[in-house]
Amino acid sequence: MKARTLIAFGLAAAAITGLVAAQGGMKKISIAAFPSLDEAVKIAMPALKKKFPNYEIELVALQYGDHHQALTTALATGQGLHDIEAVEIGFVGKFAEGGGLEDLNKAPYNAKALKAQFVDYTVGQATASDGRYIGLPADIGPGTTFYRKDILDNAGVNASELTSWEGYIAAGKKIQAKNPKIFLINSAASAAGLIWRSNIPAGEGIFFSKDNKVLVGPDSARWVKAFTVAKQIRDAKLDAKIGEWSNEWYEGFKGGTVATQFSGAWLQGHFQNWMAPETKGLWRVQDLPDGAYAPWGGSFYTIPTASKNKKEAWDIIRFLTTDRAQQIAAFKGNGAFPALKAAWSDTSFNEAVPFLGGQKARLLWKAAAQKIKPLDVNKYDSVAQTIVETQLTAVLDEGKDIKAALSEARAEIEKRARR
Amino acid sequence: MNSQTTIKQEFHFGRFYTRWQRILAPYVFISPFFILFLVFGLFPMLFSIYVSMTSWDAISGLGGMKFVGLDNYRFLFLEDTAFWNSVKQTAYIALISGLPQHLIAIPLAFIIHTGMKKMQAFVTAIYFAPFVTSVAAIAAVFGTLYSERSGVLNWLVLEVFNKIPLLNSIIPDDPIRWLGDRHLVPISISILVIWRYTGWNTVLYLAGLQAISQDLYEAAEVDGASRFERFRYITLPLLRPTMFTAFTFTIIGNMQLFAEPFLLVNTSGGVANSGRTSVMYLWDNAFNNLLFGDAATQTWVLFAIIITLTIINNQIFARLRND
Amino acid sequence: MQKLTLGNALIYGLILFGGLLMAFPLYFMLVFATQSRETIFSFPPPLVPGSIDQIVSNYNALMKMTDNTFWRVFYNSFYLASMATITTLFFCSLAGFGFAMYDFKGKNALFAVVVATQAIPAALNLIPFYLVMNLIGWINQPRALWFPGMASAFGIFLTRQYIQSAIPRELMDAARVDGSTEFGMFWRIILPLIRPALGTLGLITFIGVWNEFVLQSLIFRSPETRTLQTLIRAISGGTTATNVDYGGLMMGTAITVLPLLIIFIFTSRQLITGLTAGSVKN
Repeated sequence: MKARTLIAFGLAAAAITGLVAAQGGMKKISIAAFPSLDEAVKIAMPALKKKFPNYEIELVALQYGDHHQALTTALATGQGLHDIEAVEIGFVGKFAEGGGLEDLNKAPYNAKALKAQFVDYTVGQATASDGRYIGLPADIGPGTTFYRKDILDNAGVNASELTSWEGYIAAGKKIQAKNPKIFLINSAASAAGLIWRSNIPAGEGIFFSKDNKVLVGPDSARWVKAFTVAKQIRDAKLDAKIGEWSNEWYEGFKGGTVATQFSGAWLQGHFQNWMAPETKGLWRVQDLPDGAYAPWGGSFYTIPTASKNKKEAWDIIRFLTTDRAQQIAAFKGNGAFPALKAAWSDTSFNEAVPFLGGQKARLLWKAAAQKIKPLDVNKYDSVAQTIVETQLTAVLDEGKDIKAALSEARAEIEKRARR
Repeated sequence: MNSQTTIKQEFHFGRFYTRWQRILAPYVFISPFFILFLVFGLFPMLFSIYVSMTSWDAISGLGGMKFVGLDNYRFLFLEDTAFWNSVKQTAYIALISGLPQHLIAIPLAFIIHTGMKKMQAFVTAIYFAPFVTSVAAIAAVFGTLYSERSGVLNWLVLEVFNKIPLLNSIIPDDPIRWLGDRHLVPISISILVIWRYTGWNTVLYLAGLQAISQDLYEAAEVDGASRFERFRYITLPLLRPTMFTAFTFTIIGNMQLFAEPFLLVNTSGGVANSGRTSVMYLWDNAFNNLLFGDAATQTWVLFAIIITLTIINNQIFARLRND
Repeated sequence: MQKLTLGNALIYGLILFGGLLMAFPLYFMLVFATQSRETIFSFPPPLVPGSIDQIVSNYNALMKMTDNTFWRVFYNSFYLASMATITTLFFCSLAGFGFAMYDFKGKNALFAVVVATQAIPAALNLIPFYLVMNLIGWINQPRALWFPGMASAFGIFLTRQYIQSAIPRELMDAARVDGSTEFGMFWRIILPLIRPALGTLGLITFIGVWNEFVLQSLIFRSPETRTLQTLIRAISGGTTATNVDYGGLMMGTAITVLPLLIIFIFTSRQLITGLTAGSVKN
């Protein structure tokens, strides 16, 4: 009896809420996002309400992986889609190739005119091979090397030594000689991941060439180097064998047991806000080793074809991505590096960053962002990545021969992609 | 005074109705199950057989299905090493998380059944309690307990056990990498699985024990059989049918292990895929790699594997019975 | 009767130790729920619950993490589990009654089908389930998760066993003589008599649906329809760039787990006897 009364009450309550929303003449627009883009949307909420008083904007945040899975399944059947779907840069190429998302080049969006305002590589990344353009960039993550200046100084290492991989490994050895408890990097695999996805000629992908040829293999200098450097780091016992985004990772930063980290510029915001605020003034940044420039995270807003509020969705995402004040607010509040070039002229970009010991780091990131090239994507990228990572683990943990591992990886990827 | 005829007619109709509703009643009563099974069980399964014969990224909608015949099966059997690795890993985790459950549950149920009077309900409840917890919630707790540098387990190992003489010689001095070492990940997953389901199996065995006649034990006691002898020569043989049922449940359940490893080591499957079960692999293929055809194929092959294992289990028990 | 020998003492010692192991994670769930993130991840870890102030602050953190939707989500889980329980009790006992008290053509074969469906691995249905739910537009609808399962094979099996063992068929004939219809007999006579079995089945169903994770995470996507399981997963970080407040998260897990644990404490005797009695003649 009680349960039934409650249920009836619940149903009535749900019906009433629905009615009220409809009567108010408010248009309900939903945005699906993932951390920490959801924070940026929250920061923008007051401005959005002011700009669009008739839109009732609802934010749906899921975990990073879950969000993209949910989006995939929703696109598969055209149901459960939100009016605006955020897509991370690692996925945007894949979603661009499939259907289900609006081509923003076309009317009524006509996004062609907007493209020049964004960092170049974001446009290429969100454009499908047939020319459809599916997402406006919310933020970018220019890749950069974070290093603990105090640890380097203490070990007598000059930061410029970190700009080549040989110097980077030598520096790690010096650091460990000085204090065996301090590791050079969280995981050797991080170095490998950086090498295999940087310095890629325009138009080529990480795993596949434009004409679907597998680029992984023992004859690829890029792949051999990625595996070799990781192996050297592991053999010298320079890595802490810690996965990213784990509690151990945070502890490593807090306790000062990890000296460097390759990441997107946004990591500084995480350091400062919660990961290791006590290390203020100890970190510095510089360009990645070997003159590499690589995107490190970044997000896009897309509009599903199944959305019933496309016009409103477009209003919102155009505002979030092309309004200079919005981009600057997200940058200041959330550390989301603007994809909108006009935002870079804000005075804050010339300011010293106190957390980085007064370094004018944003100028460095600005320059790096302009040197990043769009990567060609392939629908088998995530399959290939899993295969490569498995082989890398075999090399690092079991001493498998690098050339053999890369040959096997190529054979496995080819088996998958041939179909 | 024409009421008599009316009554007669009514009686006639009543009899007709009574008769038919009596014949039809059982069919009507059991029909919801069959209707629901056809719509939500059988139809989706048949549909997935069709999907397994297509190449389908799902993003392009139902219209984007491309019929490829048995090519997915060919690929799976001849070339998909990752799938077979996941099967191997699943079987391994199923074994090391399944066997201990029964090795604990059988003697435990025996002791509860024979040796406990007032405490019976209480002890059973304690062991059964993990079964009523939510896996999403409890995986978050276990993840924290497993933490390398600040987890309770490593604190116990490093600061408590390691301080005990004798014990400290066999315990490592470095933090144990519960979720960071490919040899330990299956064990860490198994600990969670064993913790959750041992109580469930204990209850199954308690049910089996209740079916064993008390007279047998009493006769044995009169003959001077020790508790262990009673367990060995009365309980174990007579518990065989229950063991068969419980083993079957464990095989079916453990071979499709998903939520526990998924929540503990995440979608990636942990270090070197050491915690990636077959269902995680096919989940990943469907929802991350958009290979719905392959995922459906893997589902059906996994089904065949599970059926084979239960048949083997069946054969083993049949042979035991004949011996 | 049992003498307290060394062997017995050892056995009971082991059982006690095992019981402590079972309680261990639950105890630490409570400890973490009442401690701050910093304390949880300090070394040595906290071993006893924290202060009232910290409980309040963790509760507030939980509300903030969930944008104040936590209790709404809690209600969603309650609604889903209640609907599943009510419908399961009705349809399963109805079918159990049909199988137990009637002789009809095809009965044994049909019952064998019911039992056999239990052996179908649930994972087999994972992907097709999602596709079918999409087809009929039940994504984000709680009914996607209670409607298909309301006549579960397990429930039919359990109620059939109970009715067969507890209710004599003569009762039916007596009722028929009194002019009762077949459904009337079920509703007025059988249901009240099988209350113990219904109690067990109801508890099992409620617990099962409340805790189910995989299908819920496929179906529920919006914050309004989300359930506790999917919420816990969404706020527990994993591979995301969020500052997860573990104190708040653990408070959420405690509130998810505790209600069922409390219900279980009061009903464990009935639940377990019901389960054991139900599967005796399996």
